[in-house]
Amino acid sequence: MIVKEWCMYCGECAGVCPRNLIEVREISLNFNEKYCKDCNICVQVCPVQALEKRDD
Amino acid sequence: MMETDILVIGAGPAGSTAAKHAAINGARVIVIDKKSEIGSPKRCAEGVSKEGLEKLGIEPSPRWVTKEATGVRMVSPNGTAVNLTEEKVNLPEAGYILERKIFDKHMAMEAGRAGAKIMVKTLATGMRREKDQVVVNTEHMGRELEIKAKIVIAADGPESRVGRWAGLKTALKPKNMESCAQFEMAGVDMAEPDCIEFHFGSVAPGGYAWIFPKGNDIANVGLGVLTTITDKSAYQHLLEFVESNPATQNAQPVELNIGGDPVGGLLKKMVADNVLVTGDAASMVNPLTGGGIISGMLGGRIAGQVAAQAVADGDYSHENLKIYEKLCEEELGESFQKYLKAKEYLLSLSDKELDTIAEAFKNSDFETINTKEMVRKLVKISPKALLKLGKLF
Repeated sequence: MIVKEWCMYCGECAGVCPRNLIEVREISLNFNEKYCKDCNICVQVCPVQALEKRDD
Repeated sequence: MMETDILVIGAGPAGSTAAKHAAINGARVIVIDKKSEIGSPKRCAEGVSKEGLEKLGIEPSPRWVTKEATGVRMVSPNGTAVNLTEEKVNLPEAGYILERKIFDKHMAMEAGRAGAKIMVKTLATGMRREKDQVVVNTEHMGRELEIKAKIVIAADGPESRVGRWAGLKTALKPKNMESCAQFEMAGVDMAEPDCIEFHFGSVAPGGYAWIFPKGNDIANVGLGVLTTITDKSAYQHLLEFVESNPATQNAQPVELNIGGDPVGGLLKKMVADNVLVTGDAASMVNPLTGGGIISGMLGGRIAGQVAAQAVADGDYSHENLKIYEKLCEEELGESFQKYLKAKEYLLSLSDKELDTIAEAFKNSDFETINTKEMVRKLVKISPKALLKLGKLF
């Protein structure tokens, strides 16, 4: 996951992640991408569109 | 390893209230918060009811009340406004507009004064069960620290990760999570500066926009949307609202706030062995208004009391803690059911329907008509109200 510079760490993405894979720190986000199933819900709910799925 | 009776994760209003009441009732309490400053940044429009503060026994202080709001102004898409005053109508979020950065600290200080130990900049990273207790892994300033507790109160906000570590289903579907964005602005020119203002319709799909006055020309201007029914982000909707609304066209932002608001109604399961979930993490939010300060604190108080009792009993099992769910359901859940129905009705209305309703009610004398008459009048112009709201009144 690409976390854009304007992410404000509000944690809404973590709240909707069905697999509880997002750790919200005071000024960083940690994605446990190993278990991510690309549901994209986190990208969709972000109030400022700060998340982008990495193409791999 | 540190040891305590009760570990509260998250020092928002719900967590601090839980900590305070657990400490008052004789338990050893630690509160951790991942941030360096409790209460900042705010993720909130900052409205609370007077009734709610009173119920919690909290004396309003000029340190954290910025403005007393005596009414509600509701604006339809074409700008037609309906004004309600608090004397005759029970207005759930009317009352005071807070300064959350000070209020949240005040509540944490109250917890500290009651005997709770507070640790800031301390992040919970995991949890495991050890015999009849739990061990929470935390990180504090680059140091790993384990805290062993008999009971964990998860007040970790809309992220709600801790409950899930205990096997509870606290993750929300996007249709139950409002995506919110807000500016605190100066130079706001409100039509009714003593009213909190709501704007309904396509300005905020799946939610509403608000202007909450904070004194002089200052206001929180924000909105919540459901991302399941709009392609734009909450922030984009906010920019459009600010630009098109006469009150904010010349206003300037001094702060941007964003965040999720869990509006799906109280979670059914908020208890596991050794764990209670409270506040936003348990969706203790009025599903219609999105307000959750008072309800989170009411839930937090129950959590603190139930947890302290369980410590005194020496029994931290789900069985002994589940009274918490019953008490929260009585305190919050029943009214939330009504608000959910009202929200469902409100969100089913088109811009045109909202305008027609506002037109019919704009000159109503709310001081003399009662709820029943109001609903009767509403049903006349919006027959589906009978279907959606009829049973509630």
